[in-house]
Amino acid sequence: MNFGFMKAESAPPNGREVAVIGAGPSGLATAGYLACLGYQVQVYDKLPKPGGLMVFGIPSHRIPADRIQRGVRDLERRLGVIFRTNTKICCSAPMHEEEGDHFACDILSLNDLVDNYDAVMICSGSWKSRKLGIQGETLKGVYSGLEFLFPIRAIQYASTNVSVPDVRGKRVAVVGAGHSAVDVVDSAISLGADKVSLLYRRTAKEAPCGSYEIDRMREMGCQWLERCTPVAIHGTDKVEGIEFRNAVSGEQETLPVDVVVGAIGEFPTPPFQKELGLENVRRGEVRWLNMTALDNVFVAGDVLSGPSKIGKAVYSGLRAARSLSNWLDLKAQHRESEYNFDEDKMTR
Amino acid sequence: MLKGTRTLHIDYSKCIGCETCEAVCKFLHDTPRITMTRTTEGIMIPLYCKHCDKAACMGVCSRGALNRDRDGAVVLQPLLCRGCETRNCVMACPYAAFFATCSGVAVAKCDLCASRRDIGLGPACAEMCPCGAILYVDRDEVEALESEESRKAHKRVMDHIRPPRCSR
Repeated sequence: MNFGFMKAESAPPNGREVAVIGAGPSGLATAGYLACLGYQVQVYDKLPKPGGLMVFGIPSHRIPADRIQRGVRDLERRLGVIFRTNTKICCSAPMHEEEGDHFACDILSLNDLVDNYDAVMICSGSWKSRKLGIQGETLKGVYSGLEFLFPIRAIQYASTNVSVPDVRGKRVAVVGAGHSAVDVVDSAISLGADKVSLLYRRTAKEAPCGSYEIDRMREMGCQWLERCTPVAIHGTDKVEGIEFRNAVSGEQETLPVDVVVGAIGEFPTPPFQKELGLENVRRGEVRWLNMTALDNVFVAGDVLSGPSKIGKAVYSGLRAARSLSNWLDLKAQHRESEYNFDEDKMTR
Repeated sequence: MLKGTRTLHIDYSKCIGCETCEAVCKFLHDTPRITMTRTTEGIMIPLYCKHCDKAACMGVCSRGALNRDRDGAVVLQPLLCRGCETRNCVMACPYAAFFATCSGVAVAKCDLCASRRDIGLGPACAEMCPCGAILYVDRDEVEALESEESRKAHKRVMDHIRPPRCSR
């Protein structure tokens, strides 16, 4: 991915420095765009390698990891972007609540960044897994989609901190029918799971991943259980079975399994949600596109919209980067009032 | 005349439907000229212009608004297209790569990022595709790039935009 696609060569420095928090698709798109305009960009990420979920979440058979790394190298060498990995910008939520926090060696506060840079772009993504909210969810052997997928990719970078879920010879139930559920099924099968069942509360027609993917998974031997809503996970010290309501038959059934993966989505985890007034940014009730309640602090990507797609994150990152440079340019000439927010919003 | 020129080629078997191509195109050109669509099987796929050797759109445009530029790209001249209501090109394109707009110029189509080519850059979608599914390649190389997988995936896409029952 050539994040610096706006230019073929490097840009003359414009004397401004910007910090980008998060090196996922939106953070890298922002970094590339701004670096092409001549900004000195520093990108902070809690993980040991830039790329975000493109590298640590989505399996490598879907996105070749070297393509992302080549783009990152180009940002570093051609455009002078500086990456500060293993660094978390501390947020209001306690540490070690999100996947990947244990990689962070260095912790900085948002205030430090605001003081030291001309502007800050927050692209921290959505890392907190949605819980199933049913009994037995804390048992050993219950994972969220991200908890399950993250270590499979992360193990290459820090084998002492993470371990790949052990599913060899086990029976696995996956809840959900989005793309991460499909990735969990793929990974579980390639890790040697004995039997994989996919539970979805609606029908194949309504599944976000589409019927083609469902047919493919069934061909691989995955059991497809539609209109099944989990009600409880049973077991004494570890998972022994999942109980669900089958809306087709109208009955409660129990499936004996050893591992349950709830791949039902994530929440955004921004630093200082309230202080930054992110709710207002989401609703578009701000004076400047993608700017938070703090001057010079912008926000883009999944942290704003919730989990979406690489393309949406890239678009949001590019739009916010353009807005950020507009802001700094006009502010330098005391012409902020000339900004036309409604016009900027129209072409969204 | 087209020898040695380059065109876009998408290997649908490598595409994961992430929408990055559409996003980048929309950022640069407002109305995206590569557009995601969801097939009845639920696969997300980008529809795009192949800048065909024998371009049907050029044949049906009654205003001569579609022409080939020096790099072999089929480009739309908005001044000639402006105000046209026939949208013949939309119907003639076998790949559904014309996009009707509600502005004065009736349609939007890919021009292989003409203004970027002017300064030595390639189409932005190909630059940003995370999977390497979109390539900006020599026309003569396209055939060699195809695999059994990509042909199957391409057929799935074609069956969606031209349902088999319709062509009977």
